[in-house]
Amino acid sequence: MKDIIRIKCLLSSDVETLINQQIKKEAHSSAIYLSMASWCNRHGYDFSSDYFFKQAEEERAHQLKFYKYILDMGGTAISPEVTNIKIEYNSFREVFEEALDQEINITQSIKSIAARCTKEQDYITLEFLNWFFREQREEEYKARRALELFDVIGEEGTGKWQIDKHVGQIAYNSEA
Amino acid sequence: MQQTTTISSITFTEVFSIKDGAIYQSDSEGCWYIDFAGKLARFDYRNLLKLKKAVYQIDIEDKLLNNGPSADVEIIFICACDHCYVLSLLQIIKLKELLQGSFVMLELNHIIFDRLHRIAS
Repeated sequence: MKDIIRIKCLLSSDVETLINQQIKKEAHSSAIYLSMASWCNRHGYDFSSDYFFKQAEEERAHQLKFYKYILDMGGTAISPEVTNIKIEYNSFREVFEEALDQEINITQSIKSIAARCTKEQDYITLEFLNWFFREQREEEYKARRALELFDVIGEEGTGKWQIDKHVGQIAYNSEA
Repeated sequence: MQQTTTISSITFTEVFSIKDGAIYQSDSEGCWYIDFAGKLARFDYRNLLKLKKAVYQIDIEDKLLNNGPSADVEIIFICACDHCYVLSLLQIIKLKELLQGSFVMLELNHIIFDRLHRIAS
């Protein structure tokens, strides 16, 4: 009897489901960043708004990368529904706190896919995920550094203006 | 598992069977035939997975405990598939059992294939 399932698709149904869930998370994340960009723009934080627009695009790119991977491997990629996107934030700081939270959630979620791949000996997907781990290192670094600006500069006086100006300059240059 | 049946020039291999139905695989067509609820229906790879998902998603316990006036009938309709099942609760339980058994057998077949043909050769 032929092994038809394996012939048709490289991914196991569990890994495929997990990656589809990840696609949804990336889409959600991209939408949240757009919402943050909107909030920052409305409140006069232009540099932060640009920063979040860029982040939204990056998350969208991640989503497509996962999406195409599933299709390339013979699976069924599911275009996700994105709902429950927050519109208002209580403070400038809260926006960045949530941005970091967002990145941590994404990292943890990719780690759990990798754990499943290790269990199933799906080294191909594991290798594919490596790119995302490098990317998450950068994303978390940027989000953490942005939040740290609030402690380093302080929010009093022209503090928020200074923070906004510096957010756009955060870059991750590690060669490691 | 390797019991082979020929029905009108198509060769089937039985994947798994229960008293009320069976799933056969056709190697030449690369698909499966489900003999259940009085009909023989052809499912390709994607539709079989969609059927599995649709059946597994039914909350049987909830239906058993539900005292509402609605009938215990579930319509399983799969997008882009020619077949549709209208099943009673007991039939759903049986179909689920049939699918679960079949997927275990397909997984076993995958492992055997790997060990005997792919890794050994």
